[in-house]
Amino acid sequence: MPQPLSSEAIEALVAAQDIPLAPGRAERMAPGVNALNVEDPLRAKLPFEVDPTSYRIQSGKLK
Amino acid sequence: MSEPATLTLAEARVQLNRGAISAQELEHSCRARIEQWQGRINAFISTDSRHGQSAAGPLAGIPLAHKDMFYRAGKVSNCGSKIRKGWIAADTSAALERLDAAGAVDIGVLNMSEFAYGPTGHNEHWGDCCNPWDPAYITGGSSSGSGAAVAARLAFGALGSDTGGSVRLPASACGVTGLKTTWGRVSRHGAMPLSHSLDTIGPLARSAEDCALLFAAIAGHDERDAITAREPVAVNLEQQIRAIALSTDWIERNAHPEVAHAVLAAAKAMKVKLVEVAPPPFDLLSAHCLTVMQSEASAQHAQWMRERPRDYSSAVRVRLEAGFAVPAAQYLEVLRLRGLWLERFVRETLAQADAYLAPTIAVPLPTREATGAKGGAEMPKLLADVTRLTRWVNYLGVPGLSVPCGFDSRGLPMGMQLVGRPFSEGALLAIGHAYQRATDWHRRVPQSG
Repeated sequence: MPQPLSSEAIEALVAAQDIPLAPGRAERMAPGVNALNVEDPLRAKLPFEVDPTSYRIQSGKLK
Repeated sequence: MSEPATLTLAEARVQLNRGAISAQELEHSCRARIEQWQGRINAFISTDSRHGQSAAGPLAGIPLAHKDMFYRAGKVSNCGSKIRKGWIAADTSAALERLDAAGAVDIGVLNMSEFAYGPTGHNEHWGDCCNPWDPAYITGGSSSGSGAAVAARLAFGALGSDTGGSVRLPASACGVTGLKTTWGRVSRHGAMPLSHSLDTIGPLARSAEDCALLFAAIAGHDERDAITAREPVAVNLEQQIRAIALSTDWIERNAHPEVAHAVLAAAKAMKVKLVEVAPPPFDLLSAHCLTVMQSEASAQHAQWMRERPRDYSSAVRVRLEAGFAVPAAQYLEVLRLRGLWLERFVRETLAQADAYLAPTIAVPLPTREATGAKGGAEMPKLLADVTRLTRWVNYLGVPGLSVPCGFDSRGLPMGMQLVGRPFSEGALLAIGHAYQRATDWHRRVPQSG
């Protein structure tokens, strides 16, 4: 499980993409951003060969 | 005959075919109601009229109106925003083309959340859309005008888009029926993008039968949208249903008692075999949905966020800023996991059933004030509660139908959602239709005061 991003890391990440952030905004963003990085029990079962386009095939098979 | 605009779409078709009413009378009745309601609910952005191409199509003469994000060549699509205010589309969306070909009459453009990126119906650029049952309350979003206009009987149906619940939330909050289609079922060509892995287009209407008519008109392969499938679109509202799965214990523990009572009573009223199952991991799948939505929406808006961030409302700008902080590897891993979660939902949750039943909104509908710019410290929790049960469906990419199932003690509608396998819209519509033949929640009409 990756470590939570610090507000400094968030600020640097967003600034590197040329998006201006108001002072203190990165600190307020941090809990929400880190809340998305959840433990997933299927992560360990994810086959190496699966990529994001595999979903489309699954969707057709599971109708 | 009662006021023609208060018929269902299916009933209006029958009356038109019998010659008992004319298309002009239907449109006039809708326009009279728009005049009566617009000041109270702000559902419409404009009321231009455009008649369909077919006088004999399945929707010939039926007045519809659509969310302000479905492009029509030569016409303005504001997308609920300041940034696209007055923007004129060069091309017509595939969904509108198909409704035109079916003969529908497009009577106007409907309010929406800014760039379809908000679950409540607030809009600081175009004014909030208000709930017809009580304007102090939210309509749900982002297809706010679609829910409000259909509920107030200003149009017989409306297109909405659903990326995290934007068809089902306003359907539930306004007391109408709304279909979130399978990802890839309806072409998004000419519709404003938000999150390409999640975006779907679907109808809001007065009944499941009406949604079926609109769905049949708009669904199907389109070479201009690479993800559209070639699955057959036929809907049989009389099809046999094996069973419905639900998680009674979860509903009783997590939904507000009034919502839980309404949904569980609806389950019994369906007179279909009920199968108790473990609930899908709503919160985990919802987090995955947000990872995808935020990453893709922020990428979509990156240029405007660099050049004119002040032209977004603060609520939307804050959501877009957050997406730039989601690591790319996290985003892609969540997309890689999507097929596994879909397989688990179909093979386990739906192993013995055709649909999974849950509330659409599990909490009492909040006011516009509590969820607006001055909402205070409670606002993020209120918004999270409202959207808790819709986003997981978008992550799985499966269809979901929100159906009215009662009114709370404040007189506000409550809705339940039926969630099915990929491309099983027909089964969901058949269940909804059978339920609506036995109940009259969908027939209740708000009064304009």
